[in-house]
Parts: sequence; C-alpha cells; structure tokens
Amino acid sequence: MSKSEEYDVLVIGAGISGEEAALNLANQGYKILIVEKDLSVGGKMIHLSKVFPTLDCSACITTPKVSETARHPNITIYTYSEVSNIDKKSKYDFRALLTKHPRYVIEEACTGCQLCEEACPVTVQDQYQYDLVGRKAVYVPFSIANPRVAAIDIENCSLCGACEKVCPADCIDFTQEEEEIQIKVKSVVIATGFKLFDPTLIPRYGFGVFKNVVTAMQMERQLVPTRPYNNVLRPKDGKVPDNIAYVLCAGSRDETVGNPICSQVCCMYSIKQAQLLMGALPMADVTIYYLHIRSFGKGFNEFYQQSKDMGVTFIKGKIGKIEEIEEGNLKLRYEDIESGVVKEANHDMVVLSTGILANDGISSMFKDKLELDPFNYVMQKDILANPAQANIGGVYVAGTASGPMDIPDSILSAGAASAEIAGYLKEGEDHEK
Amino acid sequence: MAKINPDFAKEIFKYGNDDFNACYNCGNCTAVCSLTDEHNSFPRKMVRASVLGLDEKITASLDPWLCYYCGDCATTCPREANPGELMMSLRRWLTAKYDWTGLSGLLQKSLLFSLFAFIITAIGVIYYSASQNFNVEIIMHHGHLFEMLSIASVFTFIILPNLFRMWYFVIIKPGIKVKFMTYLKEFQDLLIHMFTQKRTLGCDDSQTRWFMHLILVFGYLALLFTTVVLDWFGTENLFIILLGYIESVVIFIITFIFVAGRIQKNKEVNKFSQPSDWFFVIWLFLLGFTAFIVRVFIDLDLIENNIWMYLFHLIVLVQWAVIIVPFGKWTHFLYRSFAMYFDKIKQVV
Repeated sequence: MSKSEEYDVLVIGAGISGEEAALNLANQGYKILIVEKDLSVGGKMIHLSKVFPTLDCSACITTPKVSETARHPNITIYTYSEVSNIDKKSKYDFRALLTKHPRYVIEEACTGCQLCEEACPVTVQDQYQYDLVGRKAVYVPFSIANPRVAAIDIENCSLCGACEKVCPADCIDFTQEEEEIQIKVKSVVIATGFKLFDPTLIPRYGFGVFKNVVTAMQMERQLVPTRPYNNVLRPKDGKVPDNIAYVLCAGSRDETVGNPICSQVCCMYSIKQAQLLMGALPMADVTIYYLHIRSFGKGFNEFYQQSKDMGVTFIKGKIGKIEEIEEGNLKLRYEDIESGVVKEANHDMVVLSTGILANDGISSMFKDKLELDPFNYVMQKDILANPAQANIGGVYVAGTASGPMDIPDSILSAGAASAEIAGYLKEGEDHEK
Repeated sequence: MAKINPDFAKEIFKYGNDDFNACYNCGNCTAVCSLTDEHNSFPRKMVRASVLGLDEKITASLDPWLCYYCGDCATTCPREANPGELMMSLRRWLTAKYDWTGLSGLLQKSLLFSLFAFIITAIGVIYYSASQNFNVEIIMHHGHLFEMLSIASVFTFIILPNLFRMWYFVIIKPGIKVKFMTYLKEFQDLLIHMFTQKRTLGCDDSQTRWFMHLILVFGYLALLFTTVVLDWFGTENLFIILLGYIESVVIFIITFIFVAGRIQKNKEVNKFSQPSDWFFVIWLFLLGFTAFIVRVFIDLDLIENNIWMYLFHLIVLVQWAVIIVPFGKWTHFLYRSFAMYFDKIKQVV
C-alpha cells in the first residue's frame, strides 16, 4: 500500500509562476503541494542575469521567493518528482499519482558540502550552465539551488563509490528506489513553463558545428554573477569577443521549424544582453539583426532607445546563413531591408536569440482531455472572463504554460490563477457549510 | 510616381504562386540565395513588388530571369510564401507580357484554351494529310518544308518582336542610355549564357541539373540542325543517320528523367508544375521519341505501311512549332540569355 497525501491545491512546476501562485494561496491558508521535475526549484528565472527593462538582478528577485516558498508552513515541495494520472473524480476531488525519482542522496542529511564532487572521477556537460562547462556525475545542481543538496546522475555514474567514501554525512545511498505517493487535491495549477527552441533544427546557422555560435541562454549564463568563466569568452578559443552579433527570431515566427508565433521575449532579452555586454566588454561592438523590434511592454521602448544611445547597432534583416571563416570568426549573410541589398558581415561571436516553445507532456498528465491551443500551450477557455481557467473545471494555468510571455506577465498570470482558485475553493467551502 | 495595380496579385495567382502575400519582408530568401550579390538582390524585392501590385516595376526588372530555381528560398522561407515559385510565376507572367499577340498569356492561364489549341492543330494535320491521300512521300516532304518555314516565320513574326518588346521594357522605357558599342562589346555574354547556362552552376543544389540541361539543349539544337538542314529522315548518309539517333535518344532519355522528376516532385523546382511546364517537357520527350521511332520505321522499311507513325510525329512537331516554341516555355531559352545580356549592359552603364 503506497503512501497517500491530501492537499488543497497541486501546483505543477516550481518556476516563478508556480511559486507565485503557491505563495498567494498558501498565505490565504490553503495547503499547497508543489511538484517540480527538476532537482531544484526556481525554474528558468533563477538562471538569468538581469531582467528587462529595469535591469534588476534576476536571482535577487527569485531567491527570496524561492526561500519563502521552501520555508512556508503551508507549502510542501517535491523536487525531482512528476505527477501523472490526474483524475477528476468529482468537483473538488482530484486524484493523482506522484512519482519521486531517486537522487541516490539522502536529501535530509546532505549538507551540500560538495566533497563528493571533488571525489567523483566522471565529468559530463553541465546542463545548468547550458553546456558551457563540465560538472561531475554527483553534483549540487548549481550554487543557488534549493534544496541545495547533491544528486547522482545515475546514467553517467560509474558506480565507483568514491563519493560514498568521502561523504561526511553518510548520505550517499545507491539503494534508493522510485517512490510513489497517491495525491488527493481540490484543484490543480499547471505552471510547467516553456522549453527553449533547439537551434540545431536550423542547420544553416551552424549551431553545434561552429563553436562561436552560441544560444542566448549560453550568453546569459556568461553574464550572471554565478557565471562559469570570469569574463565573456568565445567557446572556441577562449578569446574575449569584440564584435558580437545577435540573430533574432531564431526559431520563432518561422513556419519551417513549426513555430510560427512570436516568443515575445527575444527582442527584449537581446537588447538587455547587449546593454550588459556594453558594460562587461566596453570595447565590444554589438549588432542586433532583427525582423521587427517588438518592445511593446511598459518601459520597453525606452529600454530599446537606451540601447541605441549606448551604441548598439540595429540592422533590419533576417540572417540567411552563417559561415565559419578564419580563426573561428563568422560571416553572416543577410538582406539589409532598408537598402534592399544583400550584404555580408563578419563577427567574432554570434548569439542566436532562440525562441521559446510549449513544454511537452502536459496533457498526458491528465486522464481527462486537457485542451491545448494550436501551438501546444494550455488552452484558456475564456481568456477574458477567466484567463487562468483550463477546459477541465478546477484546473488552472499560470505563466508560460499558457503561451509565451515575459517575467512580469508570468507573475501577473500566476496572480490571476491564484485569485481564480481562491474563489473556486471558497465557493466549495461555502457549499459545504 | 509608381502606379499600383490592385488586381496584380490575382493575376499572378493564375500563373502559379498564390502564397506570396504571406511575406513579412525579413529578407531571408535574398540572403540564402547563392546567386544574389550587391547588384542583384532578389527575390524579396520581387515579392514586395508583387504584393504591392507594382507590375511596371516587375516588367522592367530582369530579376526573375536571373533566378535558376534551386528552391533554397522556398524551403527556408519562415512564412512559407514560396518566393522561388513566385519567381517562376513571374517568369511565366513576363513571357506573356513580352508576347505581343497575347496568346502566351491565354495559353498559360487557360488549360482549356491550351487543350483546344492542341486539338485544333492535331485535326488540322490530319485534315491536311487526308487531303494528300495519306501519301507518305508528299507528307514527309511537306513536313520537312514546314520545319523550315515555321522556324523562319516564328522567329520573324513572334520571337524577334517579343525580344524587341523585352528590350523596350527593360532598357528603353526605364530610360537607360546605352551606347551602341556597349551592345556589341557585351554581345559575347549573350552567346556564352545561351550556350552554357553557366549561371546555373552558381546554384547550390547540384551540378547534375546543369549538366543534364546542357546536354538536352545541345541535343535539341543538334537534332534540329540534323533534321532541318541535314534532312535526317531523307538522308542515306550513315553518319547523319547515327547522329540523329544519338541526339533523339539523348532528348527522350533526359526529358523522361525530367518528367519523372516532376511526377515524383523530387526537387523544389519540380514541386509546382503548371500546364506550360508539363507541355514543354512532355512534348520535347514526344518529339525526340517519335522522331527516333520514325527513323527506325524508315530504316526497317515500315513507314510506307505505317503512315500513322509519321503523322503522330508530325502532329507533335506542329504543336511544338506553333504553340510551345512561340508562346510556351521554349522562349525561356532566349529570354534568360537576353536577360543576362541586358543585365550586363545595365551594370556597365
């Protein structure tokens, strides 16, 4: 007989939207369960450098929220866990199966001292630094992870036992198995966020072949305080770049890769990174190749103008192809739309402003049919009256699970979801009385 | 002031591409094209002109002829606006525009009219043959005379005036001042492009396409020469007979491959065939194939009793000479090379 637990609300995903929705509801006294499939809470935002258009430190906004969520008496978090078989038995009665994957580390005992990392002989690419550097097979995910405990990447582990010998807390446990918990909740929030577009799907941009073509997330990691190198460097030869190009709409607004819609954030994060690069590398030239700059939010256009004033060059024209030339430099071919003439420009580093896509596997978590929109985001049945309501009653959506949006919009969306859920739960309580 | 033709898009739809209004002017097509340079940046400007209905600008432009349709722009277009097929459609439209008789446009836009024209010519040939009591010798002799006569008259009354119109549209009307000597100096460019199609080699897709096309062009021109001047069907000279066999085999094998490619849609260039494309390759295939069989029949002494074989060849030949050559896709042979010639002249000026 497996364990069973009961909560008011199940929040799927512990990014900024999931945390915001959970905190809003927990503060009203509801019991919340957050299920996060990753090793740490914090989602994508915890890995970013600054946010636009205020240039506030991203981690400085996320981490207090992360700690508050983690320490809240009404919130339970399961990391490295997934939910499935979400089954609506009746109104206010959802049953689900929670699967807790083994970390092979006793979470409660680990102090995060990282001695195991030093002992581990296996090095693989670090997914939390977006493959810029390596990590060990046993590792604390990243320095500001929460929970800040180690996990063993069993696929790459050589089972040598070196970590077990050095662990001062005796928390390495290779006998751990998958754990299943039966969940009963009254309501569900889908806050599963987004995934990044894979630029290898556009072979003419050479990502993965030309080393100095990186994704915007890889550039973002080079600009954060917890960055892998102490400077912005080109991956191929470790040279400090001085002529950087941004390629916008790499994987957005592009029918050929199956994503015809705008990702809504790439223009602004590229402008933000350009401004940060101006600070990090004062001598560097930054050129942004764009189709249309979409700076529609509050303060966005001023932010765009500011980047122009700082000396960022903007060229209208989609990059057609990228070619590697001598010393790993790159030749970009485009039509300069203003003059209508095809041109070529050389840069020593190219950043692909990759778009965002809907996460996979959201609807398969539900027994009932969860409706998705044509782009695989969760369908908002009545976007004006109840923007957070999914097609199944009692199931709500927060943040980028409903469509591409930036951080302030995600937080607003989570706020809307929590308000709608509070109303929904209150109605149930009144009914019981 | 540019004049806008609001019905232009609808007109182009009839020549093939009906997706180009999706364009959001990113310039990806121009950038991926391996034939573009700072002098000739296409196809986006042609897409833009088509969307806006700037038909005069397109009439004065040589860009459609400078594209050899590798299809890279179409496969990578983020809006799936299919700029490659638009360039093809504009070439069809320009062919109609250059034609002073207006028949080219009518034949390309209306399949019914094309079929009507093909049937009428076939009936005409049969009617004529009946009037000659199906006498093989007379009909074959007249057939040979027809070849010479049709070449002379199509060239004089259709092709030459149309090339003059093209020249007027792209050089004279836009007010480009060209010295007479420039025409002479750049004339070699015309011949080079006409007989090598070397610009195709700039396309990324493959060298085989260029090579097969080149062989076909030479095979076709050689067979034309062999039948018209050397009188292949009438000659006793073994060398000429063999030469004709080789040429006709080359034609029908290569056109067979081309037709098969269009049926399989194996390449971007083969995906969106219009009736004019089908007529061109299929009739060229039939031309080579029936010529081959006719000569076989002559060599086996079968032709006397199988006049139908020659009649079939003659029908194909007449349809080719009076429909496809003057008004169909055949003209791209001249328009493309003249476009390269005029483009060189414009660049020199």
